[in-house]
Amino acid sequence: MITPVLLAALALVLAGPAPALLARSDWPYRVPRAAIALWQAISLAAVLAALGAGISLSYSTAGQPGEPRFDPSSARDLVAAAVLAMTALVVVRLLWAAGRVAVGTRARRRRHRDLVDILATPDGLIPGLRVLEEQTPLAYCLPALRGARVVVSVGALDRLDDSELRAVLAHEQAHLRARHDLVLEAFTALHQAFPRFVRSDLALEQARTLVELLADDDARRRNGPRPLARALVALAGSPAPEAGLAAAKSATLLRVQRLADPTPDNRLLAATTYTAAVALLVVPTLTVAAPIVLAIVNAVS
Amino acid sequence: MTSEEKAPRPLGDLERLVMEQLWAASEALTVRQVHERVATTRDLAYTTVMTVLDRLAKKELTERERDGKAWRYRAAAPREELAVDLMRDALDRAGDRREALVRFVGQVSDEEAALLREALAKLDGDTSGRAG
Repeated sequence: MITPVLLAALALVLAGPAPALLARSDWPYRVPRAAIALWQAISLAAVLAALGAGISLSYSTAGQPGEPRFDPSSARDLVAAAVLAMTALVVVRLLWAAGRVAVGTRARRRRHRDLVDILATPDGLIPGLRVLEEQTPLAYCLPALRGARVVVSVGALDRLDDSELRAVLAHEQAHLRARHDLVLEAFTALHQAFPRFVRSDLALEQARTLVELLADDDARRRNGPRPLARALVALAGSPAPEAGLAAAKSATLLRVQRLADPTPDNRLLAATTYTAAVALLVVPTLTVAAPIVLAIVNAVS
Repeated sequence: MTSEEKAPRPLGDLERLVMEQLWAASEALTVRQVHERVATTRDLAYTTVMTVLDRLAKKELTERERDGKAWRYRAAAPREELAVDLMRDALDRAGDRREALVRFVGQVSDEEAALLREALAKLDGDTSGRAG
């Protein structure tokens, strides 16, 4: 009975306090790649621990290895079955959310790309670049396995010099190369899978910021920090084209301040973060698997 | 970085050209009429124009109607209307499909813009001696 309680406690910690603490910290921004891995590990471990709690609870409730048959008249067996069904429901909701987000995202992206292809002019500066005849300063990418697009508006081109434009394009190409959209899609699916009153958007919001930092780091390595910082200020600081567009709190300031600071050696911090991510996944898995492995070993010997 | 569009997808480029003919026309055009108009600037096979119009219809960017034995095509919406759709979609940051496109940077408030310029001034100031 101890395993399901431990796993449920772990799931609760990983779903609530741990993300809240991590989201308030500044150090993850120094190691964005490792921090994304840690967020992924926390989310995955929370799901695995919750599922493990359900499975082990139904297992420990439903009798001993000596009495393997399901007895519908036994309350204990019915509770076990109910717990197992709840666990299965969580899995189904997760898969359903993942499918819905994947299909919806691709449909919107396909429609958007069709419009870009008939409205914007191709430009040979980088592959897939399209220039949009719009005064609103705007730069974004449309990720895809084949035929990805980077879209820049004339309004954005007017505000950027050559080195700044190259920094923007390097940033967008980093997103496309590393498929950051897939990372965000997974967090979106996880977010969507849980009912509104239990879910939090901390992991998704942090992942959004962290992939921007990763793309910034890539552009910084290619062109230095200054063109990128100037491009960020030029495109973000222009008057908002629509009311309500400006988010209450944005990661833009963080990104520019980060470019202004010299980069210290973060290898130790990154290594520690990766280690924590791996431990988060391995420890609960072993906790669930160990009794089963032991039971099999006992049964065989 | 040399992959993908190094060999340009010819049809993608033609879609824009064909749509421009449809937008400019006051009535629905047959494949032959579109071909005639495009052929003044580009040497294109009739069947290519047919294929492009077909693809545009599948993407719901054109509408077609029967006229005797031929199809007549018109743009599904005026260019300006589609451009508004595109911009609205590009600026839309809501919903669970917002990861469809990843923007370089969003707009910020006036106070944040001031802080941004401050941070930039710091960067331009004290890193001038460093190799960027």
